[in-house]
Amino acid sequence: MQANRLPLEGIRVADFSWFGAGPIYTESLANHGAQVVRVESQAHIDGLRAAHPMPEGKYTLNVSGYYNNFNASKLSFTVNMKHPKALDVALRLVAVSDIVAENYTPGTLEKWGLTYQKLQEVKPDIILVREPMQGSDGPHANFGGFGAVISPLAGLSHLTGSPERVPVGLGTHYTDYVINPGHTIIATLAALRYRNRTGKGQLVEVAQVESSVCVVGTAILDYAVNGRVQNRQGNRLPYAAPHGAYRCQGEDRWCVIAVFNDEQWRALCQATGDPQWCHEERFATLQGRKENEDELGRLIEAWTSTRTAEEVMETLQAAGVAAGVVQNARDVLENDPHLKERGYYVYLDHPEAGRTAYDGPGFRLSKTPGRLQPAPMLGEHTERVCKEVLQMDDEEMAQLVIAGVLF
Amino acid sequence: MADPADMPSALDDIRVLDLAGEPGMYCGKLLAELGADVIKIEPPGGDPARRIGPFFHDEVDPNKSLYFFGLNSSKRAITLDIATADGQALFERLLATADVVVETFPPGYLESIGLGYDTLSQIKPDIIHCSISGFGQWGPHSHYKAPDIVAIAMSGMMYIAGFPAEAPDRPYGNQTNYCASIQATTGILMALLHRDATSEGQQVEVSMQEALLLNQETAVPYWDIRKDLRGRVGNERRLPAIGVYECQNGYVMFMVGVPGFGSPWPELMRWMVDEGKAEDLLEERWQNLFGQLDMRLIAELYFGTDTELVATWVPRLSHIDDVLVRFIKSYTKEHLYDEGQRRGLLVAPVNTPQDLLENPQLNYRRWFTPVEHPELETTITYPGPPYRLGEAPWRIRRRPPRIGEHNQEVYCGELGLSQEQLAALTGAGIV
Repeated sequence: MQANRLPLEGIRVADFSWFGAGPIYTESLANHGAQVVRVESQAHIDGLRAAHPMPEGKYTLNVSGYYNNFNASKLSFTVNMKHPKALDVALRLVAVSDIVAENYTPGTLEKWGLTYQKLQEVKPDIILVREPMQGSDGPHANFGGFGAVISPLAGLSHLTGSPERVPVGLGTHYTDYVINPGHTIIATLAALRYRNRTGKGQLVEVAQVESSVCVVGTAILDYAVNGRVQNRQGNRLPYAAPHGAYRCQGEDRWCVIAVFNDEQWRALCQATGDPQWCHEERFATLQGRKENEDELGRLIEAWTSTRTAEEVMETLQAAGVAAGVVQNARDVLENDPHLKERGYYVYLDHPEAGRTAYDGPGFRLSKTPGRLQPAPMLGEHTERVCKEVLQMDDEEMAQLVIAGVLF
Repeated sequence: MADPADMPSALDDIRVLDLAGEPGMYCGKLLAELGADVIKIEPPGGDPARRIGPFFHDEVDPNKSLYFFGLNSSKRAITLDIATADGQALFERLLATADVVVETFPPGYLESIGLGYDTLSQIKPDIIHCSISGFGQWGPHSHYKAPDIVAIAMSGMMYIAGFPAEAPDRPYGNQTNYCASIQATTGILMALLHRDATSEGQQVEVSMQEALLLNQETAVPYWDIRKDLRGRVGNERRLPAIGVYECQNGYVMFMVGVPGFGSPWPELMRWMVDEGKAEDLLEERWQNLFGQLDMRLIAELYFGTDTELVATWVPRLSHIDDVLVRFIKSYTKEHLYDEGQRRGLLVAPVNTPQDLLENPQLNYRRWFTPVEHPELETTITYPGPPYRLGEAPWRIRRRPPRIGEHNQEVYCGELGLSQEQLAALTGAGIV
């Protein structure tokens, strides 16, 4: 057994990706042992470096919580890819890398001279992982887009929320965070294992819209098979009642409750003190509860609204009823005793941003757990990458700095 | 040309015993479609998820659940009661041939029936054992019941979805299934790479709550760094042309002028002028207002939490938004998408499932994947590849299995049981 060995030790990633869907998965590679070199530039700033939140009174390219949370454990290497001499530097990095990551509009890498063919010339078994919005070909290949428009495009917005409301989606660029980076890292690791077994690299393409449509699979099948165009149903499910979020004591406090069968219904009744309405015939069966769901919701809310969300959850869970506080960011970061005990959020000291919270890995490996280092400042590791990775001497590096290549 | 079915794949040397219920089903599907031999082990009578609709032609039947279909293609399926001694003996024989076990039992259950990781790793020392549960294997909430809505609520993502004064929205489609399975698959692949290098197996632990936390976007950094609590914003349009609008046949999202993306205002104005629908927006007072909307102000209004600034600007801009509302209302989402994108404006339709099946881009790329269902005498259109690997392609190997479909093949063909033995086990309710 090799102590402290991480699963991706010895793997190097030339990371040309930016914003969310790329950097999030390359961070997971970095947290599990890969050396990830973020290729960035003062001339081509990752928009997240300029995005909120930043600490009060500080507005620099190194303190965005949005950027830092997705870029832990990486090296930042500044190269201005628009400079004619940058291609050579980039190819030298590729030649000693296993994976090249990018999520630009199709054609951007090629514009810089980084065609897949060129990459293969310098590194025959390179794995090139691309994450275009819509794919590299087809009538919409060059359509603009980013996370915000994927939920509407992929059907998630149409299917989420109240049927009486405008389909606003999930309030976030949902598929940017787990779905698309997740599918991409799976494809990348599969390509890596394939290379280990066969010696062959390959081109991997994750079209973000395609990856996102996967997660509305049931609605796709329902239309394909039954011709039914599903519509949004709020928090309700056809096979459960009650099933929703119920108002609790305090401002904007809610607890979800989900009851799928009669046994759980009886447990709910008991936990709520066996009120009169629990004995009403109309609520005795799932079908009855579905038919009288509005009224049922009001009765349950009368019970929840005089209690804290935590009390509702604890009371119901103790009785075997599924319930959970609709936690906000403060709850998950500071109040949730479970997350605290498990140490999901990791606090790291950063030279400019100070001590801030980072999301830990979304899965835990018992013998080779991921570990996080603070996100890099822009260009923080340019010298280190030049010397240790690209084997440059001082003279050569100085020339590239003066010429504006390492910028 | 080699048949794609004969091409080597990333995982064709890997066998997975898939004991997973809903939150872990997509994990087995992902592994199977990268080439692994995934044997789904269901309790006799079948997985409860087979009883969840919608169903093929609305015929309620455990072999016709579309919900189940969507999460279980490419697997083989056997039935086995692992809580019985005979069932365990069979399971242990299968385990000896396996590389990965995926399960979603309540924490402690496998230990209680004598099949915890300690036992599994004695039988198969390099086994990778992946456990998915609502809150992970340990901690004060580890025994909590956690259907999708509970995990979603506890992960913070629900709080920021929906409209401010109303109940928060749970996203469509049991998203926990996808997020937890994706995290599990990632962990399993990393564990496999580690095993390949060291011969060492290990446990992969996934908490559904933790698997979802990253979906809060910036909410946690906002609280951590600014003590600002992100809430639900509904369809608050702080800036015209950034938000969801009703159109002739549904809804569209406009993201025109978002810092870093798309073209700014002048092209949208040109479009409205070309169509004769700019109304009075060319007047100097409105043009002056556009002039003040520099990138910095747009960024503050779009991303910022300065409510005073927002309260000042939204009414000033409301007339512009009203004109835009009328403009957008007069076109279809398809037209707005094509023409907007042609003009370099970030516009996207709010697609329905039907729109997706008819989507020119997805169809050009042959994304949807036909899968034959001989018993139903039909071919069903499935969602296609989440990723496209040039050398080791994603592939749906077979339609989702019927209950116990591969009992004969696995028990008799692979474990060498006789027909009589299988019949006896079936009769005893073990298979």
